[in-house]
Amino acid sequence: MYKIVRRRPLKPMVTMVDVEAPLVAAKAKAGQFIILRVDEEGERIPLTVAGTNVEEGTVRIIFQVVGATTEALNHKMEGDYLQDFVGPLGKPTETEGIKKVCIVGGGVGCAIALPVAQEFHRIGADVTSIIGFRSEDLVILEEEFDACSNNLVVMTDDGSYKRQGNVTIPLKEMLEAGEKFDMIITIGPIVMMKFVTLTAKEFDTPVTVSMSPIMVDGTGMCGCCRLTLHTEEGSVMKFACVDGPDFNGYEVDFDEAIARGRTYAEFEKKAHDHVCNMFKAADELKAGTNA
Amino acid sequence: MAINPKKHEMPAQDPKVRAHNFEEVALGYEEAVALAEAERCLNCKNQPCVSGCPVNVHIPEFIMKVKEGDFEGAYQIISETSSLPAVCGRVCPQETQCEEVCSLGIKFEPVGIGRLERFVADWHNEQEALKANPPKSNGHKVAIVGSGPAGLTCAGDLAKKGYAVTVYEALHTAGGVLVYGIPEFRLPKAIVAREVQGLKDLGVEVVTNAVIGRTLTIDELFDMGFEAVFVGSGAGLPSFMNIPGESLTGVYSANEYLTRSNLMKAYEDNPNTPIMKGGKVAVVGGGNVAMDAARTALRLGAEKVYVVYRRSMEELPARAEEVEHAQEEGIEFNLLCNPVEILGYENPDDPRDPKNGTVRAIRCIKMELGEADESGRRRPVAIEGSEFDLDVDAVIMSIGTSPNPLIKDTTEGLEVNRRGGIIVDEGGLTSRNAVYAGGDAVTGAATVISAMGAGKVAAASIDEYLSAK
Repeated sequence: MYKIVRRRPLKPMVTMVDVEAPLVAAKAKAGQFIILRVDEEGERIPLTVAGTNVEEGTVRIIFQVVGATTEALNHKMEGDYLQDFVGPLGKPTETEGIKKVCIVGGGVGCAIALPVAQEFHRIGADVTSIIGFRSEDLVILEEEFDACSNNLVVMTDDGSYKRQGNVTIPLKEMLEAGEKFDMIITIGPIVMMKFVTLTAKEFDTPVTVSMSPIMVDGTGMCGCCRLTLHTEEGSVMKFACVDGPDFNGYEVDFDEAIARGRTYAEFEKKAHDHVCNMFKAADELKAGTNA
Repeated sequence: MAINPKKHEMPAQDPKVRAHNFEEVALGYEEAVALAEAERCLNCKNQPCVSGCPVNVHIPEFIMKVKEGDFEGAYQIISETSSLPAVCGRVCPQETQCEEVCSLGIKFEPVGIGRLERFVADWHNEQEALKANPPKSNGHKVAIVGSGPAGLTCAGDLAKKGYAVTVYEALHTAGGVLVYGIPEFRLPKAIVAREVQGLKDLGVEVVTNAVIGRTLTIDELFDMGFEAVFVGSGAGLPSFMNIPGESLTGVYSANEYLTRSNLMKAYEDNPNTPIMKGGKVAVVGGGNVAMDAARTALRLGAEKVYVVYRRSMEELPARAEEVEHAQEEGIEFNLLCNPVEILGYENPDDPRDPKNGTVRAIRCIKMELGEADESGRRRPVAIEGSEFDLDVDAVIMSIGTSPNPLIKDTTEGLEVNRRGGIIVDEGGLTSRNAVYAGGDAVTGAATVISAMGAGKVAAASIDEYLSAK
């Protein structure tokens, strides 16, 4: 069992927790992920590491409530335990030889992008961060990004906070103005990563995308997380859990990945509604006994 | 007394009933039947069955004990050499091992050795559990990577000799393929849990959620004070055919499909892990894993399940009993045919149709058998122009695996062959000092019992190495 030692809601639907897992904390690097199960009957879900504290032996994860499991996770409080917590999984983000980097994060993907930005900052690279959110009430980690970026741009889709529009707008402006990045690293919704890649390609700038497909075991056994790369030598199948999660954006078959990501959409919606109703019923029961 | 020429039948659930439940198919011998079956053993001098068994169970001796009605005595004889008798009695391909070479089998049907083994193990397990006491410690520490049949066997053998054994398991439950791969209806998980508990009673420590190669490396295990490491990390990444359509929604590897159903319990009502249920399903491949996937699909409510295999029934590698059971349950075998493409649904009028990108059919080509290949089996050759489509909603690829690269990539000096299997000598020693390996991580996909055999061999080598230290 793995104890939640710290819990902080960042936004109504976005929560940060620090989980006691010393072996994982000692090893995890930016770009790697963990798999957790909330309780004994729970599913295994992958979440990317948002930070570690080696002395304390804790691993930070930041998640947005999107389905049944994240809903259940969001009901776990400080001092509660998670059933399983395994990692670090996947390969760390490649930083070697990159002196000037642009980090493009979208939504809760920014939680994953932050440790990557911090790592580049730590090794002395010039860091530009572009972070985008749907609206003001979803903006997270702005201060933290500001602390590790030479240049930070915050975007919201609806213009409710800072500049309006999607992340590719400032990226394109920078590239048009002649900015030369050694690498663009993008983490967020897959459609966003696809368009960041297309923008980068126009300017011949290399781009790394962090893929988060559906997984079961996460250790290279089930093959659920497979995706297709279209390389110079032809199309090859790769497994995000052992070969990734970072891939060359130019090579990823995004449309296929988008379709595969939708496999259980229907099931997940039903499961989420079911769990929400359960928590609601439990709350009502509690309110009833207190009254 | 004349010898009964036939093995006593294994009682089983009615095929029509069991096709819709996940309870165990084979029900096991009653005591009287076991006694009668034991009578059939000739107790012959040369004991071919013992050498036919990968872990050399003293078969005639245990059967003689059964004959005397001393079932606990029989159990003790089996457990001298086998750590998992209740498992082996259920999943071993006896027809190609002990029973294949049985002397009685020359004239009649061989002795039902597997069925007797299962009877003895189940009898023992039903008694008030006699908790084994940990033996006296010899002060040596050994780490085992993976809690599948190879790892559990190696752990058991070493623990009995007084070694302090720690087993590291990547998943959240111990048992490896016995838990994530083999379905409940063939090997109830309670049996695996009991075997694991038996090892814990011997003092074996099991650490789940530890991925060796990521959470800890082999070198770190030595730094932690382990003096030898056994790697039984199992089969690894699923193989695909490299044909168009394998990324469509509804295409599974058998590993994924079985893991969802078995380990994650997607077969139970209201599970948290989703799996596709119902519809028509094609399973590609002819091994035990393919049979397990096909029969699982049926139990999950598929209206039709096809097994697609490129050779003929004669070459089908699955255990005979599983093939028979699958046929009885109504699974249709499409032999001598090979998939060339998986076809997806596309609605030209509605790009937002949720069915877009899902499987609608599998296109196969008919095959004929040509000359024998290096494996001795006749090579299947495609018959030009014989393509046909099977309408299906899901395809499960069960065509093997390639070893997991995590340990190789993080262990300097660990040599692997061109397929990625860890190279070992006869005693299971790898190219790294004090690192041993066995099971699918070495051989590629094989059987539970051969993995157990490898675990046993390595345990003996580790004992020899550490007692000389």
